[in-house]
Amino acid sequence: MPPIPNLTAADFLPLWPAVVLSLAGMVLLLSEVFLKATEREGESVRTYQAVFTVGAAVLAGGLALSLTFEPARAVFLAFAVLDPFSSFITAVACLGLALTALLSDGFLRQRQAERGEFYALLLFATAGMSLLALSNELIMLFVSLEVMSISTYALAAYLRRGPRPTEAGFKYFILGAFSSALFLYGAALLYSASGTTHLAGLASELGRIFADPSSDRRLVVYCGMALVAAGLAFKVAAVPFHMWAPDVYEGAPTPVTALMSVGVKAASFAALVRVFLAIGRHVEPQVPVLLFSTLAILTMVLGNLLALPQRNVKRMLAYSSISHAGYLLVGVTALFVPQARAGLPGVTVLAAGTRADQADALRAILFYLLTYTVTAVGAFGVVGALERREDETRGFGWDVDRFSGLAQRRPGWAVAMAAFMLSLGGIPPLAGFMGKLLVFRAAVDSGLLMLVVVGVLTSAVGAYYYLRVVVYMFMRPPPEQATLAPHQWGTEVALAVTAAAVVLLGVAPGLVTRWLGPAGHLFGQ
Amino acid sequence: MQPSPVDIQHYLLLAALLFCIGVFGVLVRRNALVVFMSIELMLNAANLTFLAFARDRLDDAGHLAALFVIAVAAAEAAIGLAIIIAMFRNRGTVNMEDIRTMKY
Repeated sequence: MPPIPNLTAADFLPLWPAVVLSLAGMVLLLSEVFLKATEREGESVRTYQAVFTVGAAVLAGGLALSLTFEPARAVFLAFAVLDPFSSFITAVACLGLALTALLSDGFLRQRQAERGEFYALLLFATAGMSLLALSNELIMLFVSLEVMSISTYALAAYLRRGPRPTEAGFKYFILGAFSSALFLYGAALLYSASGTTHLAGLASELGRIFADPSSDRRLVVYCGMALVAAGLAFKVAAVPFHMWAPDVYEGAPTPVTALMSVGVKAASFAALVRVFLAIGRHVEPQVPVLLFSTLAILTMVLGNLLALPQRNVKRMLAYSSISHAGYLLVGVTALFVPQARAGLPGVTVLAAGTRADQADALRAILFYLLTYTVTAVGAFGVVGALERREDETRGFGWDVDRFSGLAQRRPGWAVAMAAFMLSLGGIPPLAGFMGKLLVFRAAVDSGLLMLVVVGVLTSAVGAYYYLRVVVYMFMRPPPEQATLAPHQWGTEVALAVTAAAVVLLGVAPGLVTRWLGPAGHLFGQ
Repeated sequence: MQPSPVDIQHYLLLAALLFCIGVFGVLVRRNALVVFMSIELMLNAANLTFLAFARDRLDDAGHLAALFVIAVAAAEAAIGLAIIIAMFRNRGTVNMEDIRTMKY
């Protein structure tokens, strides 16, 4: 029986952002009980929830950013790690949360659905993302994944009187629970092959299994790896595990869609990178390269092609979110090339002297996640602001016609939306372009020329459907009797912040990239 | 002939079988509740694998994992059943074939 360990205060350091977020969620839930009596007094009572959530998100994000200066180390008996990579992911998730809360205020007020549990669920989901980013053990990964996912299932079905949100919540729940079960059985198989659930122990044990050519446990390892990969690929919506994403993104309340497409994706990518950097370096080197390059190509090609015929802007953004997961997977593939270059499928060996750098790829992934966060939240924010409640049941609330002549009716929104669309399409000098540039450069340095060619071609395809929205906004006359939702301060602030960030990150990426330096290495890798 | 003792391979085979039945159920059955039960079956298959190895190697981590999975599965059931009830109130059915307002 091992002695009971002595945890020090330093062990709790990386948990602070998650602690702040969870406490804020509990305070909101409790305040709901006491506020019931004053509910009818006035509308302004409820705005504090959004403000409180933004405050908690800013505090947690600030804590996470301050943690990036701490030296990387394992904490909690190596169940978790404190490294700059996980702290940056937490900060990105908190940024997504703050923007989502700003958007939610007006959105919920229009539907008379402002209740504390909505914001509490947003906070709990973000706490789950933060824990997911720093987990270093399979069971802790599973529990954090579920904290994040279960909160998001409830959020997707939050407007439960409408048929679409319940359908979205239902589909998300069934496929999400299915993918969690796949992940868990994969984890069980990896445990049975190696005898440990710690990623570090798993890595050294896998090294032993694969060093021994007569080992009979390889098949179990590969099955476990495939199931873990499938479970996480569901969460990031990579083709062929994407089929839930368009329906869920379309049906869920728009602010929730925004959080799903940025926070959930960022945290799931963090988990994917951490798990596969631990187990992927000890298996035969072509396996992870082949796995991720196949996923990346399928996701980029199908995500973009399926988005082409969409007239429904919200659904188009869902497919666009899938295709962006594809570009991120190009960066993930680049992580696995430096270990053994010659003879890998799809890898062109460039002139000697180009050094593939795993750290560059990691930084590129982080930067891409940041740019995608500000761009996608902004785009979903405009979609949500144009949405009217009565359209939801009929289902054409998000037709691209809704954007006709927006430049004359709401010039500010139209300019912001144009910036988001061009950024998603990867057009310089906006944030999306810099993100793609960094990821593709990391991939070229690793010799993944074919992946980069596919990526560039598919982004050219993507420009068509992004520009269509811009054309409708600026070159079509506004419809006759169109009514617009009134201005909501939260939405306006969120759109201003995201639009400014999209331009700033594109023009001066150095403001952020120089902070990303230490995030190039995962602890223990 | 002596009956052979039940050793770890039997547990693992049973778990694999349960997992396959669960996956099959999710992919084939159309009733939302049956699909949900199939997912629970998959979680329990993972539990059985954890427990079999934990007993075989006298390692506590597997027992711990099973406890956590049971807690998570309970939370998932609470949310899942609530969503299924909300859907039934909206549409009067829990058949997955009828749930397709949104497509392509």
